[in-house]
Amino acid sequence: MKEFKPSEKIELKVGGSVTIKNKLGEGGQGIVYLVDLNGSEYALKWYTQPFKQEFYDNLDNNISNGAPTSAFLWPQFLTVKKESRFGYIMPLRPPEFKDFSHFLLAKVRFASLSAMINAALQISNAFRDLHRSGHSYQDLNDGNFFINPQTGAVLICDNDNVAPYGTNLGIAGKCRYMAPEVVLGKILPNADTDRFSLAVMLFMLLFNNHPLEGKIIAGVPCMTEENERRFYGSNPIFIFDPQNDANRPMMGIHTNAIRRWPLFPKFIHAEFIHAFSSEGIHEPNKRNPENEWQKLFVRLRDEMVKCSCGGETFINPGAAETTCINCKRKIDKPLMLKIGRNKLIMYPGQKSYACHTKSGSDDYTTVTGEVIQNKNNPNLWGFRNLSSDIWLCFMPDGTPKNVNPNGVVPIFKDVKIVFAGGIKGEMV
Amino acid sequence: MSLLDAVAIPRRTMVLFFLIDTSGSMSGDKIGAVNEAIREVIPEIKDISSENADAQIKIAVLDFSSGARWLYEQPIDSDQFVWNNLEAGGLTDMGIGLKMLNEKLSRSQFMADLIGSYAPAIFMMSDGAPTDDYKKELEVLRKNNWFKVAIKVAVAIGNDANIEILKEFTGNEECVLTVRSPEALRKMIRFASVTASQVGSKSSGVGIDSSADSNQKAADFTKQIKDFEKDNIEVNDVQEGW
Repeated sequence: MKEFKPSEKIELKVGGSVTIKNKLGEGGQGIVYLVDLNGSEYALKWYTQPFKQEFYDNLDNNISNGAPTSAFLWPQFLTVKKESRFGYIMPLRPPEFKDFSHFLLAKVRFASLSAMINAALQISNAFRDLHRSGHSYQDLNDGNFFINPQTGAVLICDNDNVAPYGTNLGIAGKCRYMAPEVVLGKILPNADTDRFSLAVMLFMLLFNNHPLEGKIIAGVPCMTEENERRFYGSNPIFIFDPQNDANRPMMGIHTNAIRRWPLFPKFIHAEFIHAFSSEGIHEPNKRNPENEWQKLFVRLRDEMVKCSCGGETFINPGAAETTCINCKRKIDKPLMLKIGRNKLIMYPGQKSYACHTKSGSDDYTTVTGEVIQNKNNPNLWGFRNLSSDIWLCFMPDGTPKNVNPNGVVPIFKDVKIVFAGGIKGEMV
Repeated sequence: MSLLDAVAIPRRTMVLFFLIDTSGSMSGDKIGAVNEAIREVIPEIKDISSENADAQIKIAVLDFSSGARWLYEQPIDSDQFVWNNLEAGGLTDMGIGLKMLNEKLSRSQFMADLIGSYAPAIFMMSDGAPTDDYKKELEVLRKNNWFKVAIKVAVAIGNDANIEILKEFTGNEECVLTVRSPEALRKMIRFASVTASQVGSKSSGVGIDSSADSNQKAADFTKQIKDFEKDNIEVNDVQEGW
């Protein structure tokens, strides 16, 4: 059918209509228009091909369920059908959010390491909550993400294949991002296959290369579908597989991975090695749940500090000193606030979140404390209580002290803090 | 150097070939319309390429009349590609064109990208019948592995085009489209070039329904071309003399 013209009206299933303003883009499945709905601008994705009724019904269902988290640019309204085609209305992407492919193509870069890690956290969290709601995404690839390079905030689009457990609407995804069992046609996409795609996505976010594309793939003259089945399906090899060096990244080609991989802490390596090991690749139920990725990136953030050179670097809590990844300066082992399994580096600017200090919380966005420097004596550091709770703190000699909201805990070895709800922390 | 500094992720190359009949019968509005249509579609192909983290798109152009020639000696990145108007005149040496295509569909020739390629997309347009012995060359070409996996489409310009030969070329009746007016030609060139670029330059959706010898990209492309033809009835308009 023909493209819509500006000022054409498209009726919505719930009643009312949107007015076409102009065309924003075109993809394999359809056309995206800028539309007006009661004075506000939205995007209309219009499918140029007819789809089965169950696809329409599923979208309708997703709309009633609502978005799992605010990171999803979720469908808001369905249109009525027109010549057996239809579309849906979704919020517009704000201009500060850039295509993930632009990051991969080095047209955009993160303003800071914190922004990058924040993006990893948000993506993990979004898929965790989508899966917790009993749904899967099914078509996770580089085209679905928009990221704000300043903050790491993420928006996920193309949510039209999201379906409840056991339902699949016929999408297979994009080979480079698909789980091997989907590439081989053994299974249709589900939450487990999403988890493989997520690991690929996270690897690409951090290392700006594909985890399975090293020497072997670069040596394939034509990536035919048969070859795609082989290298992404029956015999994928991780570029940093410790047991198999056949597919290592190549100098001059996979430059980003070669440079960035050694800069990240070992525990990050370990998780990706697992994700792309034989188990992670071939045993879908051994893949890391998103909650574990989320915890992992919280830990990465806990162990990251701003060096005096101005760049952010990771601190190895087990080592006597750490080298800044930017200026190569040695940083002496700082004090850490040990809370459960987390070790929060006590360095100016470092923040604690509700997931650290509130019992049972996994909220990694609400700040509850921050390491500050004394205005008169910058060498004197303290940990400010930014929560609304009263903390009980014990000085190294055992003297107890209440720390009210906005009060400061001095940072010394052996200072202990009891947070509201009984969570204990200790400066080590 | 900061951890955040990065170079662009390595991308495969997808070459979009235009094979254009520039024989005498193409002169006038036919070649004029072809020149304008391709000139207009190049920026769109450039956009598809510049947004795409799977592959970059390069363009190669061969025209055949009395003999055949490549517009450039190598496929040119769509970013850099400049269209030079083709002139029409002479015979229809399609066989020579096919032979030259076969020579370049090789890793030591046009498919030489260090990072490798995706299967190419090959777009043929002709308004007549070959005046040379095309059969032998087509047979050789059809054994070329790059050609076998390529997305192939042909546009028959006007009523005198030899549809049967174009079918032999694409290996698929559905990928031969007939146009009979400059407007229809423009639309078809745009749609086929853009769609072939979109489908061909992405990692495929293998998986569902795939078998060892399936070519899902070509199937995808064919389906989209069919839908387009069905939905655009005006592409069947007829201009006098076409």
